[in-house]
Order: sequence, then C-alpha cells, then structure tokens
Amino acid sequence: MAAAVPGGARGRAAAALLLLLLLGCCGAAAAGGLQDQAEQFFRSGHTNNWAVLVCTSRFWFNYRHVANTLSVYRSVKRLGIPDSHIVLMLADDMACNPRNPKPATVFSHKNMELNVYGDDVEVDYRSYEVTVENFLRVLTGRIPPSTPRSKRLLSDDRSNILIYMTGHGGNGFLKFQDSEEITNVELADAFEQMWQKRRYNELLFIIDTCQGASMYERFYSPNIMALASSQVGEDSLSHQPDLGIGVHLMDRYTFYVLEFLEEIHPASQTNMNDLFQVCPKSLCVSTPGHRTDLFQRDPQNVLITDFFGSVRKVEITTEALSLDRDVAGFESKFPEEELATEPLKYAEQLPVAQIIHQKPKQKDWHPPGGFILGLWALIIMVFFKTYGIKHMKHVF
Amino acid sequence: MAAPLVLVVLAAVTVRAALYRSSLAVFIAERVEVASPLNAWKRVVEGLALLDLGVSPYSGAIFHETPLIIYLFHFLIEYAELVFMITDVLTAVALYLAIQDFNKVVFKKQKLLIELDKYAPDVAELIQTPMEMHYIPLKVALFYLLNPYTVMSCVAKSTCAINNSVIAFFILATIKGSAFLSAVFLALATYQSLYPLTLFAPALLYLLQRQFIPIKLKSKGFWLYTMQYASLYLCSLVVIICLSFFLLNSWDFIPSVYGFILSVPDLTPNIGLFWYFFAEMFEHFSLFFVCVFQINVFFYTIPLAIKLKEHPMFFMFVQLAIISIFKSYPTVGDIALYMAFLPVWSHLYRFLRNIFILSCVLIFCSFLFPVLWHLWIYAGSANSNFYYAITLTFNIGQILLISDYFYAFLRREYYLTHGLHLTRQDGTEAMLVLK
Repeated sequence: MAAAVPGGARGRAAAALLLLLLLGCCGAAAAGGLQDQAEQFFRSGHTNNWAVLVCTSRFWFNYRHVANTLSVYRSVKRLGIPDSHIVLMLADDMACNPRNPKPATVFSHKNMELNVYGDDVEVDYRSYEVTVENFLRVLTGRIPPSTPRSKRLLSDDRSNILIYMTGHGGNGFLKFQDSEEITNVELADAFEQMWQKRRYNELLFIIDTCQGASMYERFYSPNIMALASSQVGEDSLSHQPDLGIGVHLMDRYTFYVLEFLEEIHPASQTNMNDLFQVCPKSLCVSTPGHRTDLFQRDPQNVLITDFFGSVRKVEITTEALSLDRDVAGFESKFPEEELATEPLKYAEQLPVAQIIHQKPKQKDWHPPGGFILGLWALIIMVFFKTYGIKHMKHVF
Repeated sequence: MAAPLVLVVLAAVTVRAALYRSSLAVFIAERVEVASPLNAWKRVVEGLALLDLGVSPYSGAIFHETPLIIYLFHFLIEYAELVFMITDVLTAVALYLAIQDFNKVVFKKQKLLIELDKYAPDVAELIQTPMEMHYIPLKVALFYLLNPYTVMSCVAKSTCAINNSVIAFFILATIKGSAFLSAVFLALATYQSLYPLTLFAPALLYLLQRQFIPIKLKSKGFWLYTMQYASLYLCSLVVIICLSFFLLNSWDFIPSVYGFILSVPDLTPNIGLFWYFFAEMFEHFSLFFVCVFQINVFFYTIPLAIKLKEHPMFFMFVQLAIISIFKSYPTVGDIALYMAFLPVWSHLYRFLRNIFILSCVLIFCSFLFPVLWHLWIYAGSANSNFYYAITLTFNIGQILLISDYFYAFLRREYYLTHGLHLTRQDGTEAMLVLK
C-alpha cells in the first residue's frame, strides 16, 4: 500500500497537470475566440447603413419592376434599416393603378402570396420625380436646399450603402421613365464623386435589368461590389405571370434573391459568396454576374447584413475604461502671429480704364498688291477688248 | 422707255430702303429661305472679321464665298445696303436691255419666217406684234425689282443678288452677241456658284444662231466656234481662279466653295430638296446619292439642247429654272431671277394649262414656309417632315410651272407650223399632247 500512495499522488499531479493544460488550452482557445470576436467587431468599418432602391420603369406592364424594388425594400426594412435611411424611388404607382384588380397591393409571388406593399411603405421619389437628374443628385448630395430630409442620402464615410436598380436596360445604359437614360459612365462618375466626397464606406450595387453587367463595367472607385442579373448580350427574364393580375409579378433574379433574403435574419452570418450563388443559370436563364475587384475585403468575410441590414455593433462590457488625454499634444500649434493689418485689395485684373478708352481696332488685313494689280489689269483688258483701243484716245 | 424704268427703279429702291430701316430687316435676314449657308450676309461679315484677326476665313465651315467677294466687301462693307440696292438695279437694267434686244431678234426672225412662208395660214392670232412686245422689257424689270422674293433677298443682303447680277450681265452680253464678254461673265458666274456651267449650252446655241452657223455635228464651222467659245470660257475661268489664289496665297477656297457646293455637308433646312434627304440617310449611301442629286442638275442640259436648239433663249430660261430648283442650296433670290423672265413668254398664256393652280401653290407655299418653320422650331408641335412637305410642294409647283411653259412653248411652235385647227385623218378635231 505504501507504493500505491506515491503513485496516486503522481497520478493526481498528472491529472492536475492535464487539467491545467486543458484549461490553458481552453483559455487559449477562449482567448483566441475572444480575439476572433474582437477582430470581427472591427471587421467591417461601417457604422450605419443606407439603401437607395430605384425602380425606373413606368406603365402597368412594368409591374414587376415595382414589385422587385418593393421586395428589396421589404427585406431591407425587415433586417433593420429604418425608413429614414432608405431612399425609395418608384417611377409609377402600381398599387393604386386603375388597372390593378387588387388595389393597394403589390404582389411578388403568383397566387398572391406575398404583398410587398403594406401599410408602412414610404416612397420618397414617386412617379415623375424619378429622373436621372434626381437620382444623381441623391447620390452625390448636390441637392437644392429645399429638399426634405426624407429625400436626401445623408451618408458619411462610415456608411455602407446598398444601391438597387431595376428597369429596362441595354448595353451600357438604363432607361428611366421611357424618356431618358443613364449610362454606365455617368454612374461610375457619380460613384467616384461619392468616394471623393467621402459619402460611403462600402457600396453594394445590385442591378436587375437586361444586360445588367454592362452597368458595372465602368466603375473605378474603391470599395464597390456589384451584382447584376445578366451578362452583356443576355436578357433578364421575368418570373411568372399571375393570371389574376394579368402581368408578370417579378423578375427571376430578384425573385430568387428575395427567397434568399427571406432566410436572413439580423444575426445571420451568411456571407456574400452565398449571394453570388443565388439564381444559377438553370433557374434564371441568364447568367448573373458580379464584380469584386474594387472591393478591399474578401467577399467571404462580408456579411449579407453588412449591406442589407442595419446591425448595430454593441459590445457589453463591465470593465471600466479610462480615456487618457494627451495634454501635451493639445498645445496650440499655432503661435500667435500678427495678422496682416492692411485689408486685401481685389487685384486689378480688369483694366477698365484701358477698355473704356480703347480705340476701334484698325483693319489689319489688306488684299495683297499683286492681286489688286492683276484684277484691275484684267478688268482693263476686258474693257478695251470690248470697246476697242480706239476709245483710248478719248481717255488721253 | 427710260422714264418708266427710272420710276420703277425709284419705287424699288424706296421699298428696299424702307425695309432696311424697319424691324423686319433682322427677321428677314435670318430666314432660311432667303439666306443659305452659301450666301448669308452673316457669314460674309464673319469671314471678314476672321480675316481681320489674321485667320483664313476658309479655315472653318462658316465662310463659303469666293475670294473676289472678299475683295469686294473688304472695301464696301460699310455701304453694304447701298451695294445690294445698286446690284439689284444693275440686274434689272441689264435684263431690261437684254430683253429689249431679244425682242428685236424675235421680231426679225418672225418676219423672216413669215416671208419664207414657214407658218400656216390661220395662225395670225399667234404671231407676236411689236405693240404687245413693247412693254415686255419694262415688265421684266418690274417683275425682277418688285418681286417680293427679290426684295426679301436684298433686305437680307444675300450675295445671291450679286450672282443674279452677273448672270444678268451674261445674258445681256450673249444677246448682244459678244462671245468674249459672255464667256467672261459666265466664268464669273460659274466661279461664284458652279451651276451656271450649264448655261454654257444655251449661250453657245444663241451665239451660233446669231452668227448664222448651222448646228450640224459634222460642220467644221460649228466645232470651230464651239472650241473658240469654250476656250474663252475655260481660260477666263482658269485666270479668275488663279487670280483668287493670290488674294490669300492659298488654294483653301476651292474645297470651301466648290467642295461645299458639291458635297453638301451642311444640312440646314432651305427650300431645296437636298437637306432632308441627306439628314436621314445612312452615311455609306450618301456619296452615291450626292452624285445622283448633282448629276440631276446637269443632266437636263443635253436633252433640252437637242429639243430646243432653235430656241436658245427659252432654253436659257428653262435651264435657269432647273438650276434654281435643283441646286444644292437654293434660295428665293434664285427663283426671282427666272421668274423675271416670265413676261417674255406672256404670249404663251393661252396655252398654259395649270397656271391658276400653280400660282396658288406657289403663293400658298411661300406663306406656309414661315408658318411651318415656326411650328417646327419654336412651337415644337411639328417636325421637319412638315417643313419638307412644303418644300416638296413648292418645288413641285415650280417644276410643273416650268414644264407647263415648256409644253405651251412647244405647242405654240407646233401650231405655228401646222395651223391652229388640227384635224386628224378622218377630219375630227385633234388634240395636242406632250408625250
């Protein structure tokens, strides 16, 4: 028995060591997990989310474009972006269209399963206000001062913006209201203006039109990710018509995106790569495309809710943090200098006195002497040929 | 006859002076029917201003006038209104003198044919008498000076007036029989606007007739005279073009003037037929159609020369009309020139079949031009098709007018030789148709 006791003590010590090791590992793992979590906290640099949802077609038979836009609106609102941060532009009113057999509704699925026009849809730009000019003004912020707040995109450099556009398009353009177009170059330039004015942190651009990929071809500003429903040369097709309403209710790409988004909730960790897989060619007939070369993060690490939702990053901590102020750094960097005392004069760029007293310019050009000589010689020759030399004696 | 002419001239000058001082002058000067890219006054001023700034006026697509016009207006630009009024007066006087001489020729020829018994016995009423021919020159001058088209063209200071004046002097020189002067003036007219080239044929025919050279292709005298005249014409043309080179020391004016007339790059609407057609045409066809349209102007010369070789003045009239209808940038000033000749053929009135309809068409279209222009450009409720419809109708009216006169002329000639009451072989009355 005396031999068992030291063995037991060694066993207990080994168990304790193992436990310690395990704990250490767990601690390390836990610490690693915390590290990851901490990293994830700072993964995306945005603090607020905006959405600009544009439907550019009017007329009853373009019902599906309004339904597309309203579906995305619904998802975005459901995932947390408030109306104050959504700029919804609908070029026509389908819900109250006289041809709508179910007034005050816009359905996105046949058999009228999902009404995307509820009681709380706030349309910011309606009907004829949806123009290329207004769209570009919203994006760039160059808006007249009388514009109400709900019609402004008040984003800053920590905003992630979702821009969804749908309508009829072609290679390099998107048609607005059947009377004007916006080109891919204009759009790219508008985004560059936004970048230079620090109006976005990251931007997700989704477009569901025919030949939609042409619209994102010309982007050149950083931090833009783009998705389109079809490549150049392909048409985006609509989903199914509803025989009760009489028109196609949705486009295929947005229909499958909506199905995908219905499964997202604010805490989802689904990332962008899954969104790229939505609607393969077998379902969509067209080939959806995407562009991520301007985006600095890996799409794997970009959450859907980074753009479609408004997830606030909240970390509850019980620690107290002390914020030191570097007093020395706050010293005035500007020693008191003597300001210039003499008032600055407007430079005399325009010599008004000289202009008033300017004499009229002389005509500088004169016909060359040879020409005048030749011409008058010819005229005199013709004269004398006609009337004969004998008349010369009357001259002299 | 001098006094009534002076009166007419005074009246015309008064009308023009009054219009110059009124506010209508600016309105008329801007009208596309009166000022085309070739002869607008605005462009002349622009070209001279460019020259003062040291830039060649032909360097842009603004200025399409010839260097001689530059020279003329370099010194006379302050007296532009006076220059254009004097030009109109000179044209009218030249036409007056020309038609006076022409009447003498017509009368002489008529007398000769009567004495040679070439006319049928019952055509006494068709023969022109000196009494009725007495007032024709005055009427011609009147028609030219007081024609609203001419007045508008003068008020707009369109250089078409200068072209008309040169052509009028050419006609005067041809009728007087001076081949040299005729060739010189024809060269000047061609130098300015290229299309009077087609007037070479009627002038040649007239001069041959005057020299009593029969127009037979095998005759040596015919070819000798033709060669003489042609060489006079070509030499003077070459001399004038070479002289123009020395004005600006460059050949820039050739593509700017002749290249512009022939290739019709400027599609500003006017009363012609080119602009609409080329505005809607695909580029790879435009060369072909430019050639077709330009050939159309020159094409009628040979057939008309064959048909009207005994009547070169009528041929000249028809050719002038064809030029003003089918040229690339016509204006109402061109129309005014051939309309001035209508009194010369007033004896054909009884044979004109559609004169009422045609005069109505021409008058209505002239009024509709500014209306539809306003509707198209200012009100926005019409489009270019409307304006082109009026252009087409106007040109159709002109073409039918000319063909009506052509028909009437040939019919009268036929009646003169075959008698007024035509009968078929079985004795019933026959009707003459133009096939």
